[in-house]
Amino acid sequence: MQTLNVIEMFMFQEEQPIREPGKGEVQLCMQKVGICGSDVHYWQEGRIGDRFIVTGPMLLGHECSAVVSKVGENVTHLKVGDRVAIEPHGICRVCEACKQGRYNLCPNVFFLATPPDSGALARYHVHGADFVFKLPDNVSYEEGALIEPLSVGLHACRRARLAMGHKVMVCGAGPIGLCAMLSAKAFGAAAVCMTDIDPVRLEFAEQCGATYTVLLEKGMTEEEVARKVTETLGDAPDRTIECSGAQFSVNLGVYATKPGGVFTIVGHGPNKVEFPVVSLVAKEIEIVGSFRYINTWQTAIDMIACGKINVAPLVTHRFTLEETMQAFEMAKSGKGVKVMIDCAKH
Amino acid sequence: MSDINTAAVLHGPLDVRFENIKIPDLGENDVLLRMGSVGICGSDLKYWKLGKCGRFTIETPMVMGHEAAGTVVKLGTKVKNLKIGDRVAIEPGVPCRMCDLCKTGKYNLCKDIFFCATPPDDGNMCQFYKHPADFCFKLPDNMSLDDGAMLEPLAVAVYSCKRGQVQPGSRVLICGAGPVGILAMQVAKNMGAASVLLTDIDDHRLSTAKTMGADYILKVNTDDPKLLAEQITTIMGEEPNVSIECSGVDFSFRTAIHATYPGGSIVMVGRGSFDVTIPYTIAATKEVDIKGIFRYANCYPAALAYVSSGVIDVKSLISHHFSVSEVVKAFETASTPQCKAIKVMIHCEEF
Repeated sequence: MQTLNVIEMFMFQEEQPIREPGKGEVQLCMQKVGICGSDVHYWQEGRIGDRFIVTGPMLLGHECSAVVSKVGENVTHLKVGDRVAIEPHGICRVCEACKQGRYNLCPNVFFLATPPDSGALARYHVHGADFVFKLPDNVSYEEGALIEPLSVGLHACRRARLAMGHKVMVCGAGPIGLCAMLSAKAFGAAAVCMTDIDPVRLEFAEQCGATYTVLLEKGMTEEEVARKVTETLGDAPDRTIECSGAQFSVNLGVYATKPGGVFTIVGHGPNKVEFPVVSLVAKEIEIVGSFRYINTWQTAIDMIACGKINVAPLVTHRFTLEETMQAFEMAKSGKGVKVMIDCAKH
Repeated sequence: MSDINTAAVLHGPLDVRFENIKIPDLGENDVLLRMGSVGICGSDLKYWKLGKCGRFTIETPMVMGHEAAGTVVKLGTKVKNLKIGDRVAIEPGVPCRMCDLCKTGKYNLCKDIFFCATPPDDGNMCQFYKHPADFCFKLPDNMSLDDGAMLEPLAVAVYSCKRGQVQPGSRVLICGAGPVGILAMQVAKNMGAASVLLTDIDDHRLSTAKTMGADYILKVNTDDPKLLAEQITTIMGEEPNVSIECSGVDFSFRTAIHATYPGGSIVMVGRGSFDVTIPYTIAATKEVDIKGIFRYANCYPAALAYVSSGVIDVKSLISHHFSVSEVVKAFETASTPQCKAIKVMIHCEEF
């Protein structure tokens, strides 16, 4: 098992020649890259579960924005100088999943910073042009980089078939939970109640727009929390989005969600969980997995540009590329919400 | 392998010539096929007779044929799903794979799609033809190349039943008992339709439909679509909730509007008049959705499974066989009602 030295990786990249874009690709001068919990996890543990294991040097970073520096053959929708956001996918385009429009499930998917695929935390990066999206003038590079976690939230809401008027519970007030909350509100949710064990995160969530928050206090059972959320919302939630990765939240979701509702699980929790299956059955709750995203970037850009979603407040700490190590230490400490790394040479 | 590649090339209305074309070079994800069976479709007939079909017109010579199956003779360097000697059905539409339509699974609507024998794209009525391997579907031993060629119209039938949301208990009206109509009837029944009624003007086609499993058949006996709709409802016992229009005749469209149950759907497979007059108010006030369909997406695997498992009969629809050297006779047969042709199959092995 290999632990990573992030500074080593950064130095490694500096010595590499900048890659030329091939057919259908663009070369990007990287601007902002956000740090995700998975990036921290790979750095610390060298793996996530049994499927993704770091076996060689790789870059981290998959939440990013850039400026187009070179355009490859056959690329017509981008030109040098365009400000862009990057969807981390590379897909095979020939399998069943790709052809059915569910390319996040492509068995041969390439995904930035998921081993063995290298990420984009560097000065320059080359990427498939159809996964690079222009940013309008009123969307900043930081917002552009936040489109990645926002997309996770958007996709979870689509998977949940979230609709106008729904009452929604979001478990976990980290960046993903916040993005799920912002998305749910944009979908027209009547109210969103967020749960977390950390009162500081819940306060931040309220500032970002959560309608209600419920603090999980020590000793509370899942049923008690479910009752409290229902009381707070005025009714059981129609939709629950689990973004904490905690066993507690999986049970909470089943207890709280209204009969006939949908419970979307985003958080990567323990490999196996025990949960109240009889409640699930008796209430005809659908449990739906949500993995990354599909076809969200343009929607996310449009929603930010017209002001319907405000992600900018999520950035709490900023570092330069040279300060990457400190950035990762900050992200690991859990003190901030989103740590952003500025990759541009100044 | 010889280096001659004879093809049936359409130069303009009624102008078919046999020409030697280049054997194509393979991309890393392509396969080279020795062509076998190629069926004739209503659209092929329109190109042959009129040089155009719908919004497409022949401007440069074009190889004909798109309902086809062949045998793999050469593999691109990255092809893993097929080997030399495999017999395959060819899904003729190859999309760009990159646009939003492709990425949302609606690749049939891709604006840059390549489609065999839709101008200016060449078809596969030739000796050697190249195609991306992922759009070639291996035929099991119990399926012939003719069966493989039939998967194309069957894919149209599968897609139209999906678009119409045929489900257990549906009552289905199908206008037009040609190959697509009869295949749609079989698919609908396999999707659980409680009853299927087919209309047509031709006795032979109607009796074929009945033999192949239609619950009801009705010969068009009036030029009043409302009257015909009433007859349909009487026969079926209730209005159909899904209507699949496969005749390409405006009258059928109007009949379906009158006949369909509130909240139901009309799926438009056939191509009628470009600008058509219909009693839309009737559809609107019944909330009957009118759904266009264009070819199919992700339907070949289901079509193949239907035929391989024996659940859908495609063989009985093949009424005539011709060698490719008789292609003109094949097209004439297909377009002459007295010949009672349903599906005419052309064999390219003799090229």
